[in-house]
Amino acid sequence: MPTRVVITGLGVVSPIGIGVPQFWKAALEGRSGISAITSFDPFPLEGYRSRVAGRIVDFAPERYLPAGQGDRVDRYAQFALVAAKEALGDAQFQMEREEPHRVGVIVGAGMGGMVMGEREITQLYEQKRPHRVHPNFIPVITLNSASGIVAMAYGAKGPNVTISTACSSSAHALGQAMNCIRAGTADAVIVVGADASITPLVFAGFCSLRALSTKYNDAPQRASRPFDRGRDGFVMGEGAGALILESLAHAKKRKARIYAEVAGYAATSEAYHMVIPREDGVEVATTMRLALKDAGVTPAQVDYINAHATSTTVGDAVEVKAIRLLFKSRADNIAVNATKSLVGHTLGAAGSLAGIVSALTLDSGQVHPTLNLEDPDPHCTLAGLSRASQAKKAKVALVNAFGFGSNNAAVVLKKFST
Amino acid sequence: MAKTTEVSDKIIQALADYLKRDAASIHTNHHLRDDLGLDSMAVIEMLYRIEEVFNLQIPDEDLVDLTTVGHVIAYVQGRVAPAAQKKSATTRSAKGKKA
Repeated sequence: MPTRVVITGLGVVSPIGIGVPQFWKAALEGRSGISAITSFDPFPLEGYRSRVAGRIVDFAPERYLPAGQGDRVDRYAQFALVAAKEALGDAQFQMEREEPHRVGVIVGAGMGGMVMGEREITQLYEQKRPHRVHPNFIPVITLNSASGIVAMAYGAKGPNVTISTACSSSAHALGQAMNCIRAGTADAVIVVGADASITPLVFAGFCSLRALSTKYNDAPQRASRPFDRGRDGFVMGEGAGALILESLAHAKKRKARIYAEVAGYAATSEAYHMVIPREDGVEVATTMRLALKDAGVTPAQVDYINAHATSTTVGDAVEVKAIRLLFKSRADNIAVNATKSLVGHTLGAAGSLAGIVSALTLDSGQVHPTLNLEDPDPHCTLAGLSRASQAKKAKVALVNAFGFGSNNAAVVLKKFST
Repeated sequence: MAKTTEVSDKIIQALADYLKRDAASIHTNHHLRDDLGLDSMAVIEMLYRIEEVFNLQIPDEDLVDLTTVGHVIAYVQGRVAPAAQKKSATTRSAKGKKA
């Protein structure tokens, strides 16, 4: 029996709220965080096919962080700091009582410090003054700047790792943190997923990839519509999620409040295509099956799935096909929802937000609605999907996350019982 | 002399902006690290601002002597006033030998 790992603290920075209480209330009420992009100044907006996103407006790091803490890092790492601070406070985690080398930080990030990255690249190519590239350019864009700054902020000297697997980054962070504690290399891990790359270049890149929704530019809140027949691509979001994971023994010793248990994890590659999933869903089904096996639970025990569900035509259909492959006739008994219908696709933050939602669902018995599911796609029907919030006393939750590069992750959470 | 004051004011203001403190609290004898708390990365960031203000490029080999506010002012003064440049360079070099 492996070491049991539990979640004792949560933190959120999202387009529907900064702070877990605000986020969860808005999620259960089915509030959309998607709005129109009104400017990519100085670039002409007409050049962008998609003009909607899940942005965090008026984010002021100094409102949440000690003076200076977020000054030398990019927006995504500021989000990470704010989410980590909330999660540590929520867990009543006192670093001064910990052995610092037994507390790790594992961050999932897809794009990293693109705000400064794009600015510096643009200036260099426009002005042709290499000596004016900012001295902080390299430390800021290096993808482990968030895991570094979070460790520095709290003196966490244990394993410090950044995982970058595009849209599945922080689901892997969650799984790898569980494995790290199971392996005995840390008592606790601060897990964070973060991205903030609704920037002129990255956004244009996703537009060019034809990955984003373009039909709802005049009705932004309707654009992210996983599993609906009218879906036409994902909506970019930004944000961060943080979870404090610790061994059950460690949590009990400090009499911590436990949201849920992290019980299983699987990481696979489809070894198939950089951006297209295998349409038969076999690899996704295998990933879920392996995660359940790792957790020591059967498919019949799963009663809630936080779907990856980005609102792309192919992706959503493949995921439902995979769910039917694995769960067969029981697929319709499982409550399913799509957090991206609320906040858009937050890329590297998505897996952590899905983990947080799953922990809150197990803890509260409430499943947030899937927005805009007005006309369910016949290829995506699951009885457990709902436009309204549902009450469900779920005991086993599955988090799905898939990323570019043919990458899949699944994490199993269980309602905690002694 | 007016020029020196102008350089000095601009540098102290740049430092004040960077450190987010009152310019009046920064003195020429302040040591960048020991008195103003700038680590080596912060010194580089601060000099990056000063390079922009005075349209300068400060070579790596000159950094080692820039340890106090006064050193920075004297150095920039030497660089922006061509007539004084040679003298300033000589001074730096002499200092280097003593050390």
